[in-house]
Amino acid sequence: MPRNRRPSKQMLMVLEALSSGGRQWRHGYDLMKETGLQSGTLYPLLMRMTGQGLVEAEWREPAQPGRPARHAYRLTVAGVAFARAGVGSDTTLSGKAALA
Amino acid sequence: MTDRLARTIMSLAALSLGDSRRDWARAMQGELEAASEDGKGLAFATGCLIAAWREMPVQAEGRFVLATYAFAVGLLLPVAALQFGCAAGYSYAGQAGSFGVLAQGSVHQPYLATAYLAAIPSLLALWALLGIGHIRLAWAMLDQDWPRVVRIGTANVAMSATLMIFTVVLFLGDTGAGLQAAALAVELAAIHGFARWHARISSNALSEALA
Repeated sequence: MPRNRRPSKQMLMVLEALSSGGRQWRHGYDLMKETGLQSGTLYPLLMRMTGQGLVEAEWREPAQPGRPARHAYRLTVAGVAFARAGVGSDTTLSGKAALA
Repeated sequence: MTDRLARTIMSLAALSLGDSRRDWARAMQGELEAASEDGKGLAFATGCLIAAWREMPVQAEGRFVLATYAFAVGLLLPVAALQFGCAAGYSYAGQAGSFGVLAQGSVHQPYLATAYLAAIPSLLALWALLGIGHIRLAWAMLDQDWPRVVRIGTANVAMSATLMIFTVVLFLGDTGAGLQAAALAVELAAIHGFARWHARISSNALSEALA
């Protein structure tokens, strides 16, 4: 679904955190620590951004045996373009429009 | 203790997210370990529960869950309380209560006194069973266990019909019987609507999964 509204301050923080260091996979809790957002704010944002095709998620094997698998996130190509446009010039372009 | 509470809250969050957000619930549960290691497990889990509740009205499944809770808490449980009230002999619909009505009936029609008195234990037991039936119906609806809803609903209809026949015969034009019938009709219509709604959501989810 195209996104026509301005990205919120919290979304810009997540975009910035995900775009720092290239397209590296990041865990949800690490993103919380970096952005200072609470889980109640971060997860709905990640759900929306994944639904909009800005973020992709992948299951990662646990670092230690007996631990649960963890979800990792990174920006899609559309997400990178949207982050550049959104973080740089505070644009109102959609992620898909930014890619086009 | 705090970790256990955090895990309980996280389980509630996972339940609230429903099937369509199962992966997100697992993702949150996976991060709980990392948050707990930092001593922030409880705050993390509480945030996830708030996130899950915020998501509920957005998702079709979440709206369905909220509506079933509203129906169960707003209608089925009060009706159950009413049935227990009748079983305990309290009044309803401006009447003197089951004990009072039965006693009044036995005074007005002394030749039926034995029948009235003999009917009391069965009627009270039926009212209590109907109250239990409504609680079980509410539970089955929240579980979205439709075969169980049908079984319990059928038993409730049978008990209500028996009660109505008894009350009409014994009380001669009791308005409570009409109220029972009206409440039952509303309940059945609503349950039918919920079952159709659930089938539509499941069908959409299946189509999306196959697409």
